[in-house]
Amino acid sequence: MNTPDASSTTPRGRKHRGRRFAAALGAVAIGVVGVGSATSTATAADRPNIRVAMVGEIDSLNPFIAILASSTALLAYQYEPLVQFAASDNAVAPGMADSWETSDDAKTWTFKLDPDAKWSDDEPITSEDVVWTIEAIKENDALKQAYGALLENIDTVSAPDDTTVVMELSAPQASNPGVELPIVPEHVWSTIDDPAAYPNDSDTVGSGPFIITKYSKTGGVELKANDNYREGAPKVGGVIYVPFKNSDASVQALKTGEVDIAADLTPAQYKALESVDNITAIAGTGRRYTAIAINPGAMDSAGQPMGDGNPVLQDPIVRQAIVRAIDSSTLLDKVMQGLGDPATAEIPPTYPLYHWNASELPYSFDPAAANKLLDDAGYTKGADGIRVDKSGNPIQLRLMGRSTDPTHQQMVDYIKPWLKDIGIGITSEMKAPAQVNDDSTLGNYDLYFTGWGMGPDPDFQMSINLCSSRPNADGTGATSESNWCSPEFDEMYAKQHAELDQEKRSEYVVEAQKLIYNAAVNNVLYYQKSLQAYRSDRFGDFVRQPEGEGVILGQNGPWGLYSATPIESTTSGGESGGGANPLWWIIGGVVVIGVVTVIVVSRRRGASADNKE
Amino acid sequence: MADTMVASGIPAADIDEPPRASSWLRYAATKAGGALVSLIMVVVLGFFAFRILPGDPVRSMADGRRVSAEQMEILRQQLGLDQPLLSQFWRYLTDLVQGNLGFSYTFNEPVAQLIGDRLGPTLLLTGTAAALSVVLGLWLGQRAAWKHGSMFDKVQTGIALTFWSVPTFWLGLLLLLFFAGTLGWFPTGGIVTAGANNEGFAAFLDVLHHLALPALTMTAVVYAQYLLVMRASLLEEMTSDYLTTARAKGLREDKVRRRHAVPNALLPTVTLIFLTLGGLIGGAVTVETVFSWPGLGFLTFQALSAPDFPVLQGTFVVFSAIVILMNFIADLVYRVLDPRLRTA
Repeated sequence: MNTPDASSTTPRGRKHRGRRFAAALGAVAIGVVGVGSATSTATAADRPNIRVAMVGEIDSLNPFIAILASSTALLAYQYEPLVQFAASDNAVAPGMADSWETSDDAKTWTFKLDPDAKWSDDEPITSEDVVWTIEAIKENDALKQAYGALLENIDTVSAPDDTTVVMELSAPQASNPGVELPIVPEHVWSTIDDPAAYPNDSDTVGSGPFIITKYSKTGGVELKANDNYREGAPKVGGVIYVPFKNSDASVQALKTGEVDIAADLTPAQYKALESVDNITAIAGTGRRYTAIAINPGAMDSAGQPMGDGNPVLQDPIVRQAIVRAIDSSTLLDKVMQGLGDPATAEIPPTYPLYHWNASELPYSFDPAAANKLLDDAGYTKGADGIRVDKSGNPIQLRLMGRSTDPTHQQMVDYIKPWLKDIGIGITSEMKAPAQVNDDSTLGNYDLYFTGWGMGPDPDFQMSINLCSSRPNADGTGATSESNWCSPEFDEMYAKQHAELDQEKRSEYVVEAQKLIYNAAVNNVLYYQKSLQAYRSDRFGDFVRQPEGEGVILGQNGPWGLYSATPIESTTSGGESGGGANPLWWIIGGVVVIGVVTVIVVSRRRGASADNKE
Repeated sequence: MADTMVASGIPAADIDEPPRASSWLRYAATKAGGALVSLIMVVVLGFFAFRILPGDPVRSMADGRRVSAEQMEILRQQLGLDQPLLSQFWRYLTDLVQGNLGFSYTFNEPVAQLIGDRLGPTLLLTGTAAALSVVLGLWLGQRAAWKHGSMFDKVQTGIALTFWSVPTFWLGLLLLLFFAGTLGWFPTGGIVTAGANNEGFAAFLDVLHHLALPALTMTAVVYAQYLLVMRASLLEEMTSDYLTTARAKGLREDKVRRRHAVPNALLPTVTLIFLTLGGLIGGAVTVETVFSWPGLGFLTFQALSAPDFPVLQGTFVVFSAIVILMNFIADLVYRVLDPRLRTA
């Protein structure tokens, strides 16, 4: 405080400043208490809002542009696609379209809309809205960012009448072309000069259960209930997305009641929340798999070798032995604390239509069998227990993981001794995620931890295993899951791609997964659960997807928050905002006043000492 | 300046008159020139340094989504990433000269606007923390020096050093868990209560309520440096002859400290304050992440993962410009504060 300037003020002046300081502090103390009590009454409306912890950034609220998960999850509540995925089992279900028909050659798709459907501003929803949305994307490269690839196979789209949409595809397609794409209201968007630059963050019009009313980069996103929603108005008044930048804080906010529901919990957070009163923690079946990719000898799109994978891995026997040596159920228990489902191949059981349901796998954990495979193939062990390859070099492999994911290092600690047991040496390297992406794209790895989260239709996930999905030599171009190419797989992919019969298509997709499995290029370890928790003293009756065992947030559809039902008895008591117990406010106030008193007294004393001089 | 000395023949230190404007200008111009050169280096470095980062921005934008190779190519063209590096650099320079920091890959917004929206919260947080830590550090520092070796000195220096050595995120999380989680006195994150839509004085108090914990965390971690420098420089002054003179005049000990010793001891401290202010802004990254503070630090952190080159370049230039500006101000302030330098 004693700056050169201060030393020139008179004792009287200093005394006054001390009082002003005290007065200001006092005002703050009273005011802060005021904030706590003011917010506890403000949100007690007839239909309370549900507050959702949002860990992650909003890139855009423009449905043509937004690609970050937080944004697309939020927009799924605002815009319905023609066809969506059922809450019960993720099968295709009516969305904006009541029904649809497919021509026998799977090239003409006809959708029927509900004649009474309305946008949130009471304008009718018509087939013109659908045609405008699709044509806008097809005609404008700037609008292709989010859904461009989804529409590549749509040749023409037309509206013979107000409730009919006809899509002509350029090639047969079994997956419904009406899924995912959010349909926007033509009467709003056609009047915008540059739709790609439109922020779409206030006064928005939508068809889903909630409509964005406000977006503040500092204060989150607010949505209000859409009473015109096809399935009826939601039971809550709206949704408020509260931004967080780390999940520990969002867990604390759930405990204090600042938010009502939080997702993306770690196993430790989930376990801790399980025992907290008034909070229900759920472990929903996840949409992600975790795997170890094994470099089969990566090739670029021209069929030229790329990357520096160990040539010994080009022998499928070695890859199969590695798969047999890894005990994925132990990894699931120890690393994920059991919060996952045992895996077969890529597609998790949350998508029962396409999941490969097998109790016994061809290359299940069996070190003895793995050793025998390698012995029989002529890979003999050296004096140090490490086998040598055909050119006499010890088999030393690199296992790459992401430095940002602690489970990768944990898994390495288990996997190293397991592979040592079958005579394969492992060195691990933890790298930045972007570096892992670069290295894996270019084939610069032997083994690496990978994983994909996927939507309900398997076509895309399968397509990244096609020979044509291999990247260019410089890493640009298409995306490949495992840098693998098999004509047999390509054939199976083509069959499922055009098969309209659900049962047959499911069968083909499972067969395709078996081909990947048998090649031992992508050893799927487990499907991690999606861990979420909500305030059961405030909301209940959430619909999970799939039914009973799935998630509430992050669904393929709006069911989770749409079904949220306020619990009447406690809505006035547990309101959020300040979230503090009044007693603590009083104690806090007393502390502040105490501090002020001490300051004032000490300043008085200092001042009187000066006066005596 | 040397001319005047020779012409007048009087030792410069004895001249007690305002410095000549011309010498001031020359001094300021030299320092400004230096700052400008640094800034140009930063601009060049900012472009090339981030290109070394791993990761393909287009591939990471397509990560986990259905995006065809053709579409990725379109995106690459739209972002200008298909151009040779030097022509990208030229475009960056010409844009920058016109005050255009580019367009973010991830956020559908100009970088200048992205930074503008987040600069306010960052300045509020670092400004508050800087003010608190300067006041606290200097006050405790001079008290500790004056009673050096006492219990007060040992305890205060010990506490400050403990906080100084604690990892910022860890302290932040502890405060968050205790004061926001267990006690519920403060909100768990953000700068305003989402959905409350406060206005006027209520909004001000709401921000203050949210600011308390992050500002406290930053203050706790950084005030030690001010305390220690203030303590050291006052200790140096305490053996000076002029203090004996002051005491001989009959001044009370308290007044000797405040009127004579402290102003002189402030010299090196004030320079340090300005030098560290710029660094504080960069150091806000962890605090912003722990307390979900919507500032520049987290934006940079997020841009790194893509990598979102325009955002990285923009924040790098802005952060560096602040540091350079603060150093420049430190140069000027030091000259104002220290009469010996005015004539040097």
